[in-house]
Amino acid sequence: MKATLEVINQMQADGVIGKYAIGGAVGATFYLEPAATLDIDVFVSFQNTAGSSLLTLSPIYEYLTARGFKAEKEYIVIAGWPVQFLPLGNELVEEALAQAVATEVEDAKVWVMTAEHLVAIALQTGRAKDFSRILQFVESEAIDAEKLDSILGRHGLVAKWREFKHIFIGNK
Amino acid sequence: MNNRMEKILEGKREARKRLAALPFSEKIKLLEQLRDRSLAIAASPLKKQFSHRG
Repeated sequence: MKATLEVINQMQADGVIGKYAIGGAVGATFYLEPAATLDIDVFVSFQNTAGSSLLTLSPIYEYLTARGFKAEKEYIVIAGWPVQFLPLGNELVEEALAQAVATEVEDAKVWVMTAEHLVAIALQTGRAKDFSRILQFVESEAIDAEKLDSILGRHGLVAKWREFKHIFIGNK
Repeated sequence: MNNRMEKILEGKREARKRLAALPFSEKIKLLEQLRDRSLAIAASPLKKQFSHRG
């Protein structure tokens, strides 16, 4: 994955993308035990480093396909990993990107969403696998409850969280 | 739940904690191994054979 991240960092250095953050299962792996996943979710800023806005993801695809990487459905395969580039769909994801933490994978710099933002996004997305991941975060005590409450409150997810806890954790 | 089962579950919890505490780079390596295994299982003729049985 190091080679994949280096390509993404080069895209950033070349001004194709602005700030980015890893979410999904790979992002969760920063906080939890590793869980099998087949792809990498990369949330990218629409604002590139030259200050202009990307209207679509096509500059990303053009940049990568010109360098020999192949597109497969909604992914681009970079150094063996299918990568899905995701635009910032709402204010929660924008905040998650802004507050992402910097770390490294074998000397390759990478930004990962905070545990609380990963949980909030999973709650908002609401698929079975998202709920399963939330439970992993809860059971491993990898989240700061106060920080999570604050995020959920800002983004209108308090009722959904209460419902989730009622169904899956047994709290009201 | 009997004592034996409690011990097994506690062991699993401890193993998960140990894995979660590893450096990110090491966890990514494990994740890559898990992915390779998942792909191998998905490509297995046995899986295909059983998936047709519904």
